[in-house]
This record gives sequence, structure tokens and C-alpha cells, in this order.
Amino acid sequence: MEHGTKDVKSSTFCLTDEDHTLANAVRFTLNQDPRVDFCGYSIPHPSDAQVNIRVQTTGAHAGEVLKDALQSLTAMCQHVRSTFDGAVEEYQLENPPVESMETEECLPKKR
Amino acid sequence: MPKVSALNMPDVPMGLPSHMELQRTRVSCDKDAPTHTENVQASGAYASVGVDNSLRLDQFRKNFRVTVVRLTEDDMEFDMIGIDPSIANAFRRILISEVPTMAIEKVFIANSTTLVQDEVLAHRLGLIPIKADPRLFEWKDDNKVSNEKNTIVFKLHAKCQRGGPRLTVKSDQLKWLPNGSEFIDEPTTATDSTPATGSTPKTFTNFDHSQASLPEFANNPIVPKHPDIIISKLGPGQEIELEAHAVKGIGKTHAKWSPVSTAWYRMLPEVVLLQDIKDELAEELVKKCPAKVFDIEDLGKGKMKATVARPRSCTLCRECIREENWEERVSLRRVKDHFIFTIESAGQLPPQELFTEAVKILEKKCKGLLDELS
Amino acid sequence: MDAQPEPVSYICGDCGMENTLKPGDVIQCRECGYRILYKKRTRRIVQYEAR
Repeated sequence: MEHGTKDVKSSTFCLTDEDHTLANAVRFTLNQDPRVDFCGYSIPHPSDAQVNIRVQTTGAHAGEVLKDALQSLTAMCQHVRSTFDGAVEEYQLENPPVESMETEECLPKKR
Repeated sequence: MPKVSALNMPDVPMGLPSHMELQRTRVSCDKDAPTHTENVQASGAYASVGVDNSLRLDQFRKNFRVTVVRLTEDDMEFDMIGIDPSIANAFRRILISEVPTMAIEKVFIANSTTLVQDEVLAHRLGLIPIKADPRLFEWKDDNKVSNEKNTIVFKLHAKCQRGGPRLTVKSDQLKWLPNGSEFIDEPTTATDSTPATGSTPKTFTNFDHSQASLPEFANNPIVPKHPDIIISKLGPGQEIELEAHAVKGIGKTHAKWSPVSTAWYRMLPEVVLLQDIKDELAEELVKKCPAKVFDIEDLGKGKMKATVARPRSCTLCRECIREENWEERVSLRRVKDHFIFTIESAGQLPPQELFTEAVKILEKKCKGLLDELS
Repeated sequence: MDAQPEPVSYICGDCGMENTLKPGDVIQCRECGYRILYKKRTRRIVQYEAR
């Protein structure tokens, strides 16, 4: 839900069922966008599952800037996932599952 | 005279001056308090010195690295380098409270004569990790019927014989019922107790077919992750007979659904010797450190020099800089964008899959919000 | 209503024996003569939330 003023440059977005997890990450990506003049978020009451994200831009449409921020966050996530999967694969290649090692370790004990 | 951008003058050195770069990328752990703990996020923060601090995706892709340090069945440690704490923290928060798992939610007790009260017993059962892939199951709302797609049913029937020794009931006595509940759901009032003739009596679940017939579970029966969790102890003559229904949920609702024991990260410690530390001082430094960060390098002819051998094990206890003059010799820092991430899985899913699930959930949150905006 | 009330099971407070009593019976354990008897738990299913 968007609570804008008549001015497209600044808007407050109310997100329900979200918390610091998304809001803080989005605040980071928004802050890294040169078009953003100011952005921040607040949780009006800790018992309510709601966050308000404030976006003020230097001229661009605030909603569009938020969309771009979300898109770049998605792109970052995708990159994190593929990098992580690659690293795990690499680790597993270098350190194959320990089953064979376990039997080796167990053998002397059986004597 | 042609206009030249202030950011593009060849005789002016580019980039942040070294002391600012240090403040930007490191937390200094000084004697009294850590300083420069903040993260500079604003894109234009360094515009006046001609440095662009905005996020460039290609730049992020180039710099971001992951290296796995340790990976076992239910525990992993990896380094995540080149990411902002806000995003690393989002992953951590999602791991703890938003990655779904299966856990026992409803307990139907037919008989329990143990000392453990029924509600306490039910609570204990709820906390037992169930080794079942939550991705194979659907969400169950309160008003939805339990079926083979959203519920796992376990049976527990234990009796301690009279005259025998006490009996310890452990989690391996929870038996999976792939065909669903076996208890008859009796009508609450006695007046409408006319059973529909011909049909099978109504139970607490409504399974169309057996879960065991599904390829995922055919050779892989659903069991509690650990067979040796003590559920209750029975005295002679005591008995427990119950059914436990597990459903999909998230840690935000109740901690029993949390897929991790803990998930945490710490920033990489960086220990820098600001000057050469020799001989007695070197020995003193090695002795000071409880985490055994420093080693002594033998230079020959009775000369020694201190070296930083294991910065990773530094706990930043600051014991090495506590005494007079040591702050000038040793500097303790943390690298702001290097996270040592540890995931301890509770056993429902292997840790590496938990992390990919967490990243997917953050992606899903973004996509959901994007859909709402457009 | 039922014409013939069903016998109800009780558990002896002393020896733990199961006793079935009908209305009018003496309240006493058949095994040890103890006079405190506890009613057995019914097999009606009770549902709990595992929280």
C-alpha cells in the first residue's frame, strides 16, 4: 500500500507481514541508488506486523525507484545463491562424503 | 576552456584516502570501545572526494565470494565476502524464523497414565525434529482437512509391564502412519451416534492414499531425526497411547518449526602489528593472548619476532592491548564485509539446503512486493 | 437412558489392582481390601496443541 503525497518524488510504503528482514535489506539497496535523496524505514509498533518504508528521490518516481531497488536485491540474491551453490559443490568435490573414511576408522576398533 | 568534471582530473589522486578507506571497511576495536562500527550506505557519501559509493551489480558480482570452511551432515561454516550486513542479517533472520519445516502440532491422547501431564507431553512431542522434507508438503490452515499432502501422522503406544523395570520412552517409538490417523473421530453428542453404514469410520485425517506409496517416501520412511530423545518415563502399569500430527510451519509462529539450532555470523577479525615486536616483548605478546593468535618467528642469533599466525581465532578480547603502550603496537580490527557464517541445522534439512532456501525466501519477498507495486 | 448401568473400572489406591464395580457394590479393593479407589481414565481422545 502506498501513501503518497501529490508529489511523486516522495512516498511512504506500508508493508504488512514484513519486518526488519526485508525492510533493512531494501533500505540498503535504496540507499545505494544515486537517485535516492532520503530513505528509511520504521516499525510503528512492535506488536503489529507492519513496516513503513519512506522513499524521497531527487526527481524520479519513488515507486519506480523502490521497484528498481527490489529488482537489484533479487538479482543480488540470485547471485548469492549461485555463488554459494558453486562453493558447496567445490567443497564437496574436494572433501567427498565421509562414509569411506568412517569405515576406515571403524576397522581398527573391531579388532 | 573545455569543461572538465571534478571527478576526472588526472593529476588528482582518485579513491578514498587510506585513513577513510580504513574507517569504511574496518571496525577498530580499541581499548575503550569499538569505533567506526557504522556502515556507510548512502550512494553519495563520498561524492566530495570523488568516490562513487553506489551499488553496481556487476561490481557486486565481481567481488562477492563464498568459501566453505566446514560442511557436515547438520552443521556448516562458510565465509561470505563482499556483502552488506543488512543482507547477511536478512539471511540469518530468515534461517531462524522463516524457513519452513514439519513439526508435531496436534496431539491426540487416548490414554496417558504417566506422571508427565498431557499438555507437557504434547509440548515435548512438538519439539522433536522430524526428518521430512517440508518442500514435499503443503501448508495447512486451521480450517483445512488433514490430508496426505499436509499432515504426517505418528503413533505412540508404550506400556510398562507390572512387576517389570521402569520404561523409558524415546523418540524412536514414534511410529509413522502413512495411511493417516487410526483413531475414530467420535461424534461429540451421543444422540447422533448413528454411524453411516458401509463407509469406513471417520478418523481425524482424510487420506486419499498412503504416503508410503509416494516415490519420495517409498524407501525412506519418515522418522524423528534423533532416535534417542527421551519423551517420558513410565512406571510399572503406566501406559501412553497417542497420535501426533505434524504440519508445516515457520519459526516465527513457534520455535519448534525453526530449522536451525542457531545460525550466526561474525566479522573476520584482523590483527595487525603496527611495529615489529621483538624478543621479550614478542614472548610477552604470545603469553598475553588466550586465543593463541600469535606465534614467534625465530630470526636466528637469539633474535625473535612476533607474527600473527591465527587471526581467525581472535575473539577480540583485547587482552593484548589492555596494558600501557600496547595499543601502539597491536591493532585489532574487524573486516566489515567479510562474514563467517555458521549454520547449525536441527536436522530436518542439511545446512547448505537451508541457506539456499533462506535466499529463495528473500527473493520471494521481493517478488511479492514487486507484484504488489505494479 | 440405559436400563442396565455398565460396570465401571476403578483402580485401587494401594495395590493398583483394577476393580469393576456396579452400583450398590461395596467400595473396597477385591485384592487388598483398601477402601480408596480411583476412577480410570476414559479412552475418550483429548486433543492438545503441541505448543
